[in-house]
Amino acid sequence: MNEKIVEIEGLTRIFKKTRAVDGLHLIIETGELFGLVGPDGAGKTTTLRLLAGLLNISEGTAALMGFDLNNQPDSIKPYVGYMAQQFSLYGELSALENLLFFAELFDVSSKDLEERTERLLEFAGLLPFKNRRAAHLSGGMQKKLALACTLIHEPEILLLDEPTTGVDPVSRREFWNILTELHLRGTTIIVSTPYMDEADRCSRVGLMYAGKLIECDTPHNIRKKIDSEIIEVWPVNWQKALDKVMELENIKEVQTYGETLHILVDSGERQLPEIKRSLKKAGIEVRSIRVAPVHMEQAFISLIRRIDA
Amino acid sequence: MNFRHVWAVMRKEFHHIIRDRATLFLVLFTPTLLLLLMAYALTVDIKHVPIAVLDYDATQTSRAFVQQITAGQDLDLYAMVYSIDEIDALLVNGEIKAALVIAPGFDRDLLSLRGMPLQVIIDGTEPNSGNFAVEHISARAETFVDSAVLSQWQPAGVSSDSLSVLDVRVQTWFNPDLKPRNDLVPGLISMVLGLPALSVALTLAHEREHGTLEQLLATPIKRAELLLGKIFPYVVVGLLNVILIPWLAIMWFKISFNGNFALFFGLSAIFMFGVLSMGIVVGVFMRTQAAALALSFLVIFFPGFFLTGIFFPLASMPEEMRMEAMFLPGTHYAIVTRGIFLPGVGMEVLWPYAVMMAVLGLVYIALAALFFKKKLG
Repeated sequence: MNEKIVEIEGLTRIFKKTRAVDGLHLIIETGELFGLVGPDGAGKTTTLRLLAGLLNISEGTAALMGFDLNNQPDSIKPYVGYMAQQFSLYGELSALENLLFFAELFDVSSKDLEERTERLLEFAGLLPFKNRRAAHLSGGMQKKLALACTLIHEPEILLLDEPTTGVDPVSRREFWNILTELHLRGTTIIVSTPYMDEADRCSRVGLMYAGKLIECDTPHNIRKKIDSEIIEVWPVNWQKALDKVMELENIKEVQTYGETLHILVDSGERQLPEIKRSLKKAGIEVRSIRVAPVHMEQAFISLIRRIDA
Repeated sequence: MNFRHVWAVMRKEFHHIIRDRATLFLVLFTPTLLLLLMAYALTVDIKHVPIAVLDYDATQTSRAFVQQITAGQDLDLYAMVYSIDEIDALLVNGEIKAALVIAPGFDRDLLSLRGMPLQVIIDGTEPNSGNFAVEHISARAETFVDSAVLSQWQPAGVSSDSLSVLDVRVQTWFNPDLKPRNDLVPGLISMVLGLPALSVALTLAHEREHGTLEQLLATPIKRAELLLGKIFPYVVVGLLNVILIPWLAIMWFKISFNGNFALFFGLSAIFMFGVLSMGIVVGVFMRTQAAALALSFLVIFFPGFFLTGIFFPLASMPEEMRMEAMFLPGTHYAIVTRGIFLPGVGMEVLWPYAVMMAVLGLVYIALAALFFKKKLG
């Protein structure tokens, strides 16, 4: 444990004129479950593809298990399981045939083959569907099959690119249970996700924005980074309330979330009565108003706003 | 080279071909359909060409001659006319494709062996029918001379050789049986058997478009393993056609196969390797199936038509084009098919072409492996 399994220094990838990944520094230790979060276009997919050796590095270096990606991109492949964002298995092959195909390409010995495919299919809950063509599996099952295919060679490092995007909540939960199990067994996992509740389940989170890693810490510390508390308001008239809240003094930021407003303040307990009073004076009715815990999502939006400002 | 990797890719590719009915149908039957289509389209029997006759001679001999040439289904007598102007009008209106003018004194000149004063006017906008009329009239003139004239003069000791003074130009190569196909079909075979190259050119782009390449590149597979694994299934399917297509040529088109079939099969396998390697080079450079298809047509399909010497003899091409033709496996294979089908020649003649096809295949697969990067962008 505590070995540096991924070492990234100044990692940059330029597409034409866009710096999709821009000077990334990151060290990941063996056994981490590292979440890469950030808005669309932040550079998450490019980062994972670079780490999987699928793209050439424009500047900087990255090493996985001590193998430099610039010089030995093929040396890392036996140790890495990469799962692309879109479905990238062979639709006309059955679930089992897909597994066997990747098993052979990853040089899984024939004596391990049967036991391992059986175990993975069971692990992914796909045993009853093993002879069904991959194209005819549901979205969630396809994702689980893809994960099984990336696990077939028992990789040291898993690179998963938004593995739960487009998957129903039940399958999403099942998927994360599998990831947690792998994490507990000691596999190093780097997973990108647009879902903040998933980021919360990681041991460490890297926040990407415009190709840069703007924060990198445990979920707990990231939530603390915004140094604020949140007052959640559910007004009757949303627009009127928003206009009024924006005029208030001593508040740091207002985020809207559906019909509710999240007001970032220094101290929820102290400022709650104040805000209640002001809203009442302005004749704004509220259905509820309370001090709420800070979620990753609010921290994330706040941190990005600070960068933009 | 890890053959387990190659084998894995091959099996996957076979599944793809066999389970996708459209792909299966295309790779199995496109060559057959194309051969049938082209063999018929390119050697279509011209029949019932309408002609007009202007008979200045108006003798029994000239009438017998007209009857002779319009007998059967080849030329139809559209009208007997009385002036060149009438011919002109009929040609302009497209009512006739050719006209025969029999000069005054036809009967006298012919029977006195002085000549055969005939004129054939054809519609130059449709040279095929016109030429057909000319050939046909010439051929029938020969028969006519034989039957009508020779019988009269032979008792007088005139041999058929001396009739050459009659200046009846007879193109003996033409006849309405299937003879042109004897030469054409083996050439066409060499072309249609190269068609799986188009499918191969598409397979890499197909993987790119479906995102499966991304997953494939994340495995330790070597470039050459992947490319060979993709080519071999199409070699096998192509070899099924190597059996099917000559069978079709022999049974359907009644082409005689005078060579050794085992030799034909072996050389065809080498050709498959060559032309499919060429296909994979196209696949390496093109990112979408549409682009791969377009480039295949440009560098494989059309040159397969025009540069391989099937229709236009290599000898009549400019030097640069002949050089280019040498890089097409099909050029060498066309010589092989024609050589094995008709004269039935063996390896002692064909070995240089076998070597060329093998060398081209190796060069192309090396090029493909060189330029195929195990990267996405």
